[in-house]
Amino acid sequence: MTQPIIVKTVEELKDAPEEYREAVAKLVISHAVNELYGAQVFDEPAIAYAPTPYAKWLTCRVAMEEYGHHVRFKQLGVQMGIPEERMIPGTGKRPLSIFEFPLKTWEEFVAIKLLADLAEILQVEDLLHCTFHPLRNLARATMPEERFHAQFGEDFTAELIKTAEGKATLQAAIDEYFPYLPSFFGGSKSRNNEVFRKWNIKQRTNDEMRADFMTRATEVASKYGLTLPEVRQAA
Amino acid sequence: MKPAVSLPLAPLDRLRAEARAASWFAALGEPLIEGDLADAEAYGNALDLGSLTTRLAHDWPEAERLLKSRDWSPALWDREEALRRVLLGRAETLHGERELWTALTELTTDIGELVHGKAATAAARMGDAAKASVHVAAGAASQAVYQLAVARMAGDTASPFESKFRLFAAGRWPLGIMGSTLILF
Repeated sequence: MTQPIIVKTVEELKDAPEEYREAVAKLVISHAVNELYGAQVFDEPAIAYAPTPYAKWLTCRVAMEEYGHHVRFKQLGVQMGIPEERMIPGTGKRPLSIFEFPLKTWEEFVAIKLLADLAEILQVEDLLHCTFHPLRNLARATMPEERFHAQFGEDFTAELIKTAEGKATLQAAIDEYFPYLPSFFGGSKSRNNEVFRKWNIKQRTNDEMRADFMTRATEVASKYGLTLPEVRQAA
Repeated sequence: MKPAVSLPLAPLDRLRAEARAASWFAALGEPLIEGDLADAEAYGNALDLGSLTTRLAHDWPEAERLLKSRDWSPALWDREEALRRVLLGRAETLHGERELWTALTELTTDIGELVHGKAATAAARMGDAAKASVHVAAGAASQAVYQLAVARMAGDTASPFESKFRLFAAGRWPLGIMGSTLILF
């Protein structure tokens, strides 16, 4: 049985077991890389697709907050002694497959905010009780902004479904994008997830999070009369 | 990616100080004065937008209605974006892509939180603002700082982004163009 530990500061992390330190570093690197890559491939390009100045500046703010999340995770990583190169796409960890989707329209971006940011909320929620408190606190700071991004998706979904054409285009975007999402939560037998839970860095298995996401995504889609395509759920 | 060279941070530090001293959103809805009109004219002229009149948006609901209108002219947005791309390319050549990007991101993250708070204060003071509009205002203000940072790092100290920033610094928010009218909030 592993002795439960609480790490309150970055300084204290130096005294934590190596497995714990490596696990925390993996999470920080993953968040730093993926927040940045998501902003680069989705949020910033979406500004050009936004149909009005209101939507454009709202998207600007979302993009800047996503870049800001990268900055915060990277700053924590630097304090932990992680080289900056490891926290930047292209030089470090490979970004997640959900970012391989080639963004082409405003409706696709709305679908991404509606569903991918919900997935992101679940990931951040799982860190809200993290035993490494600097990471827990960062998750708490990030959460209101992630909720705003998902609300952005809902607000523009509500706009788009006002017309039959808008609803059909959004549904097509969901059908195309949604299959990328279940694998976002990682493999069913992930060794990393096992270690995260062993040290109470994260709380749930990947399959539990994936199942929760499927429930919540189905709820939010049906709220707007939209459906999710059938996808293979095990990664 | 361009080779890394030492990034001169003084222009960004100066801009950060200017942004911290600015009267973000403090004059929204107030009657336009001569200085506002002069900066609005300079802004329109610098973007070669032709002869524009300037008018005031009086409150948040009016501003929101204008910003959501499909009648808005994309000319201002498109010209700013074209200019930003040119200036960004020049700045990257001068300073190295990654170092510049990192410095700009840290600046806009820092200032983004400042202007978000200022927009929230203005919205609470005036009332009737939609919740999302605070984010919209913060997006517009952060974008103005980012654009000016890019211009100055490209060595351009006479770009349209100077007069745009002056409008924000004086408590205004340039909303955009409808027909041949530049609308200031």
